[in-house]
Amino acid sequence: MTWEEVAALGILALTAPAVPGIAVKTKSFLTGRRGAPVLQLYFDLWKLLRKGTVYSRTTTWVFRAAPIVVLASLIAAALFLPLDGRAAPVGFAGDLVAFAGLLALGRFALVLAGMDTGSSFEGMGASREVTIATFAEPTLFLCFIALVLATGDVSLGGMLGAPLAAAWPGAGASLSLVGVSLFVLLLAENSRTPVDDPATHLELTMIHEVIVLDHSGPDLALILYGSALKLALFGVLVVSVFVPRAALAGPVALAVLFGGLGAVAVAVGVVESVMARLRLSRVPQLLVGAAALALFGIILQLH
Amino acid sequence: MTLVAVGLLLIVLAGVAATALSRWPAAAAWVFRVLFGAGCVAGGIAALAVLAGTAVPDVRFGGAAPFGAWVFGLDPLAAVFLLAIVSVGAACGFYGLDYLARERGHRAVGAAHLLLALLVTALAVTVIARAAIPFLVGWEVMAVLAYLLVVHEHERRDVRRAGLIYLAVTHVGILLLFAVFATWAGETGDLSFDALAAHPAFVAGRGAMILVLALIAFGLKAGSVPFHFWLPEAHAAAPSHVSALMSGVVIKMGIYGLLRTLVLFGAPPPWWGWVVLALGACSGVLGVVWALAQHDIKRLLAFHSVENIGIILLGVGAGALGMAYGYPLIAVLGFAGAVLHTINHALFKSLLFLGAGAVIHATHTRDIDRFGGVARRMPATAAAFLVGSAAIVGLPPLNGFVSEWVIYQTLLRGGSAGGAIQLAGLGAMVLALIGALALACFAKVVGVMYLGEPRDIAAAGAREPAAGMIRPVVGLAAACIAIGLLPIAVVPAALRVGSVVAGIAPATAGPAAVAAGPATVFTAGLTAALLLAWAARAAVVRRRGHAEAATWACGYAAATPRMAYTASSFAAPLLGAFRSVAGVRTTRTAQAFATHPSDPVLERVVLPAWHGVRAAAMALRPMQRGGLQLYLLYVVLAVVALLFYLFATGRTL
Repeated sequence: MTWEEVAALGILALTAPAVPGIAVKTKSFLTGRRGAPVLQLYFDLWKLLRKGTVYSRTTTWVFRAAPIVVLASLIAAALFLPLDGRAAPVGFAGDLVAFAGLLALGRFALVLAGMDTGSSFEGMGASREVTIATFAEPTLFLCFIALVLATGDVSLGGMLGAPLAAAWPGAGASLSLVGVSLFVLLLAENSRTPVDDPATHLELTMIHEVIVLDHSGPDLALILYGSALKLALFGVLVVSVFVPRAALAGPVALAVLFGGLGAVAVAVGVVESVMARLRLSRVPQLLVGAAALALFGIILQLH
Repeated sequence: MTLVAVGLLLIVLAGVAATALSRWPAAAAWVFRVLFGAGCVAGGIAALAVLAGTAVPDVRFGGAAPFGAWVFGLDPLAAVFLLAIVSVGAACGFYGLDYLARERGHRAVGAAHLLLALLVTALAVTVIARAAIPFLVGWEVMAVLAYLLVVHEHERRDVRRAGLIYLAVTHVGILLLFAVFATWAGETGDLSFDALAAHPAFVAGRGAMILVLALIAFGLKAGSVPFHFWLPEAHAAAPSHVSALMSGVVIKMGIYGLLRTLVLFGAPPPWWGWVVLALGACSGVLGVVWALAQHDIKRLLAFHSVENIGIILLGVGAGALGMAYGYPLIAVLGFAGAVLHTINHALFKSLLFLGAGAVIHATHTRDIDRFGGVARRMPATAAAFLVGSAAIVGLPPLNGFVSEWVIYQTLLRGGSAGGAIQLAGLGAMVLALIGALALACFAKVVGVMYLGEPRDIAAAGAREPAAGMIRPVVGLAAACIAIGLLPIAVVPAALRVGSVVAGIAPATAGPAAVAAGPATVFTAGLTAALLLAWAARAAVVRRRGHAEAATWACGYAAATPRMAYTASSFAAPLLGAFRSVAGVRTTRTAQAFATHPSDPVLERVVLPAWHGVRAAAMALRPMQRGGLQLYLLYVVLAVVALLFYLFATGRTL
């Protein structure tokens, strides 16, 4: 773990709340509105951190532990990503399993916290969240398998690092499919349109937002920040697949990464402007479609 | 081996003492605890010594016995299963003392403890046997004892039915095992494992027949799809500590059998590896989908055993493919992952059964939808159950993650190896699907059962059980956490077992190949970070205080527990997506929504087939008149027919 890697991680942690801000701004621009400032989430987080907390009398320590488990798991997951395109701060053979496991850990904590309130709305959100994750997680692994096949490396630092740049000329078509599949996953895992509508405030229609109905104050701040970080992490995955940065100098690689993250945020905003939310029963089909793309990416590489 | 023998003797003595002293329950419990605990510790020490690298010489009895000597030995493969048997056995034995205590007086409780002690002994004898005859004797004794324990509550009709199905299935299995060993030994008749391992090349078809029969026989014991149908019935019918022992170790004997077969057989043909891999994938996915549909907590946990056997078989299958295609690293990793998951599943599944048993004990119901809010009333049990749930889902930093990580690695390395084995890489996708479904299922179990408000008066009155029932559960949870924290302590031992099964020198796959060190840094670091964050949060909350209120019901002021999400509703979207295989019937009225699970294999395949067999057997009924002379006539006719057959085919006696 060098200080450059730590610095890159720090910048990612600081800029993450701007990613959903850019998406919202894009959507507002395309629909002819002025929209909230890009930095709105920072203001919200600051406000929430200073507020008090209200706990439901039904809840147990599970509810109280969830926000820190969610955030800790996402920060830990960030450690496995090679932000400078060369090496990750932490990495070992099979660490992609740890990456997916950490996402699952955060999800488990959040879903249980929702169930802990005893509210039917939160139960509904929890049920939807695990349903969507059931289709998202195998898709994520199909993408990983395709990357393993392309690079011959079983760690995220390798799959998204130097070996990936070497693999692009030979496996470009396959990697493009994987990148598109990862972008669909980004939309699904982060509850963006067309899977969920982050702008809605009708409890019955929401997924992610409805699980956290009962969280308040600093707890809610941690969860909101965690969501932004998760979006940024998936953004890093997408950018890393499309733009291998191993050959670039350190600062340039980081600049490319954050430029790419901005572009991903704009793309999310564009999707949100041109599409409506899918019916819930259609969401699995979207994800199976993404899985099929990744599967084609794998088939193209079989030899 | 002396230590193992002493340990087993102590365990048997513990059982005998529990029965003999049943008139003085307190003394019986005390003597049972001391003897049983000492026996399990002795067995555990012997197993750990072997896993650490000590070689133990075999013990032989009766060289002139028919079918060869009775040989016993403890190699790393036997040791790892012995370790699972004694650790889970100890937890279940101790737990059973308090669990059955309230039945004292109107049931032979002492006999149940004796049966459990004997079952642990039979399991241990089965794994240390190094010849087919003691193996089969141990196997059969184990099966019968497990049956007797399953039908503990024999006055209930469903219990007797479950016991009968189990007894029938397990005997089909042992008949197949007779066929396996008879085919294997061929003309020599020597059934010691050394002789079986030294077999000359099999004639065409015979090797394949052995492998297929062994797969079916051991698959029946392990409860792999499509041979799983007895498992949920038996596990649900048995008392909770027996379910824990059955799910934790008895079904693992099937895995042991498969691995032992591979040790003795050598490299299997590739198709066998693919069949095991496919069985694993089907077991894993179908097991968890069926589990998701259950409302009976014990049946749900039983279906999760089917799922986890599937995960283990994915490891075994990948290992077999590694052997077949000549990739030693993949072979060792696959078997190591399978063995590690076997141990881990033994720990967390027995923890879950015992934890669920404590709740059933307190509430007298097994219906998930009647629980709720148990975590506030049984905090220790709930915390341990939550640890077990996170472990079975494979979440870091717990033990389930460690073994699944090894199996994932095997599959991914297979994928990047090139050639036909590449397709095994898709197994990683299947494993991810299984993991995500398991997460959904345990979110349902923990969420509906332990969290929220009590949905039923029984759940509202739940209280922690006696300390004797909490301690084993907490101990198992501690073991799950410890293995998760220190992969480096267990992965090398698992690799040693893996190389024994793969039949190669242990040096080929060192711990470095699976990065156990960095994984340890990761899991330990994550645990430390979580604890620090919790401490920091506690400090902040203490300083700033917090307010309490009712759950926000979106403005509705009179929310009741009946409005909370039910298990049926929670699982409905997923069961809808998997409706073609889920075997679920849905009822929907204006007020209520409910799903009713069924087991497609049992209801649509096994029972119809059984009725067919029964009808055919009834056709033979007229032959059976009950007169002795008639039966003697049948015997004479059969002998004459055989003699004619011999003459006709030109053979001599």
